[in-house]
Amino acid sequence: MTERLQNIARKIGGPLYSNRRLIEYYWQRTQRNKLAVLGLSFIAFLILLALIGPFFTLDPTLVNFEENNLPPVGFATEESVYNIYTDEFTTTEISGTWKHPLGTDSKGRDMLAMIISGARISLQVGLIATGIAITLGTIIGVLSAYLGGWADNILMRFTDVMMTFPFFLLLVLIVFIFGPSLALIVLVIGITGWTGTARLLRSEALSLRTRDFVTAAKALGASDGRVIFGHLIPNVASLIIVIATLSIPGVILAEAALSFIGLGDPTTTSWGIILNSGQQSLDTAWWIAVEPGIMLFLTVLAFNFLGDGLRDAFDPKSNI
Amino acid sequence: MGKSWLRDYIIKRLIYAVIIAWGIVTITFVLVRVGPSSPADKYLANMAASGQDVSQITTAIEARYGVDKPIFEQYADYMVNLFQWDWGWSFSTSMPVIDLIKTHWIYSFQLILLSSLFAAFLGILIGIYSAVKQYTKIDYTATFLSFIGISIPNFWLGVMLILLFSVKLGLFKAYYDTTLPLFSLENLKALVLPVITLGTGMLAGYVRYTRSAMLDNLRKGFVTTARAKGLPERTVIGKHAFRNAILPLFTIIMFDLGSIVFGGAYLTEIVFGIPGLGQISFNAIFADDYPVVVAVTLIGTFLILMINLITDVAYTYLDPRIRYD
Repeated sequence: MTERLQNIARKIGGPLYSNRRLIEYYWQRTQRNKLAVLGLSFIAFLILLALIGPFFTLDPTLVNFEENNLPPVGFATEESVYNIYTDEFTTTEISGTWKHPLGTDSKGRDMLAMIISGARISLQVGLIATGIAITLGTIIGVLSAYLGGWADNILMRFTDVMMTFPFFLLLVLIVFIFGPSLALIVLVIGITGWTGTARLLRSEALSLRTRDFVTAAKALGASDGRVIFGHLIPNVASLIIVIATLSIPGVILAEAALSFIGLGDPTTTSWGIILNSGQQSLDTAWWIAVEPGIMLFLTVLAFNFLGDGLRDAFDPKSNI
Repeated sequence: MGKSWLRDYIIKRLIYAVIIAWGIVTITFVLVRVGPSSPADKYLANMAASGQDVSQITTAIEARYGVDKPIFEQYADYMVNLFQWDWGWSFSTSMPVIDLIKTHWIYSFQLILLSSLFAAFLGILIGIYSAVKQYTKIDYTATFLSFIGISIPNFWLGVMLILLFSVKLGLFKAYYDTTLPLFSLENLKALVLPVITLGTGMLAGYVRYTRSAMLDNLRKGFVTTARAKGLPERTVIGKHAFRNAILPLFTIIMFDLGSIVFGGAYLTEIVFGIPGLGQISFNAIFADDYPVVVAVTLIGTFLILMINLITDVAYTYLDPRIRYD
């Protein structure tokens, strides 16, 4: 099994996989960009949090009205309670407890647990949908460049048509018609999000197609599939990595935005859904809207930093 | 030789746009029909739940939709109606969809217009300044802030602005006041937070693009020539370097308008309660009002098609070297 995986990695990753020194070289170049390293660290932290966090936190769906609207540790809020016997408002100060380090929401659910659960969903959506989009984009882009002629024409016209679709409005329409489910959201983002990748990779593959190593491979009798998967795609692997890293934030944001307007999967606790409920209680419990937003912002920022650093590292023309 | 090729090109692109529009209308028609429940079903379920006479409404809806007819006839009717500006009936607001759109488009328009102007003006200025002062503290600060601006989710920024300026400081109203006259100072004040919300992401993007486009040009030979001629630095930057950076910037701004701004405006309207097209679509989603949701999607698509066409034609004026044959 591992051998099989290694084979696949060697084939697709090509130079990046088989040449350890190349990876080291790129890694050193990436390291020179401090912000990229910072981004990578945050992403690693987030993945760790999403993987093992749920074993240490409370149940994110556990409702407890006795402890609702608790502020995070270190903060305090005032709560006015009307006393029907004395006909007076008594104001009590509530401060955060370590039982709920990030406070609780209006239903008394633990914010920390909800945030970690949301990290899981955002990462899942980001990685899977980007995976689908990048795979489609790579195949369409490289195939289009390699085949040329009418096939190229048809594929690129199709890409143009897909590009004119207002992506977000289409997403809203489809989720509205078929009902909100995470799988559907991921699928739609993946199937509609490949156009930019296809265009970039096509132009890259167009210049590769005429290079000597492709001609040599063909002269040695390599099949079309072998030229595409064994020679063209491995040589655009670095570009694919950069595009993937820079596409993830957009995907995560799209899911969060959908959830925020109430079209998220109601069976999940995603950051967008928490934010939605947080907007309704801004004046009583500000942290419900603040916390998932900060996480969303930091995640997007981290991927942008990393993607930018990788782009510079992979670009032989930039001298960093 | 004139610009006869341009006329041919525009005609070609118009035909192309019509084909795409037809494709999109067809896709939405199919999506609505393939969907798990028909528009009438959802509406009827709601009506039945609120205790109204279902049979009466059923007859009305069936007549309205012509659901008893064969599917191809329905499709043909749908297309013909679209062309005759009959975009269906909005159940939730009890008015024709087209009238609903006519009363609400202006709110989206003013938001998008003001945000785009705000973002383009400030973004280009900061971008130029940042490029001219490359590798100074100002440049690093601008670059770092633009990263933050690009990464900040605009709907969350909106919520945070409300929290800070409306809930805590009480400087602005948390909700857009729809009774204000459009061309008034109060209306402008009410739009401050929404414009910042929608404009920040765009602004940050324009700073980055302007900076890199300017840096590209500042390294070129003609800039050195202009400086060698003894032209003042203002002229070198404004007339020589910036003019050549306009084309790539124009592409980005127009592309943004189509892809990011429509989605962003949709969310911004919902956050601030601005009654634009995004808000009516949002309300329609919760009222299961199909025709409105479909209409807003179609309008967005048609506008993007038009913007793309205008961009391509405008290219030929901005850069006479470009020819489409």
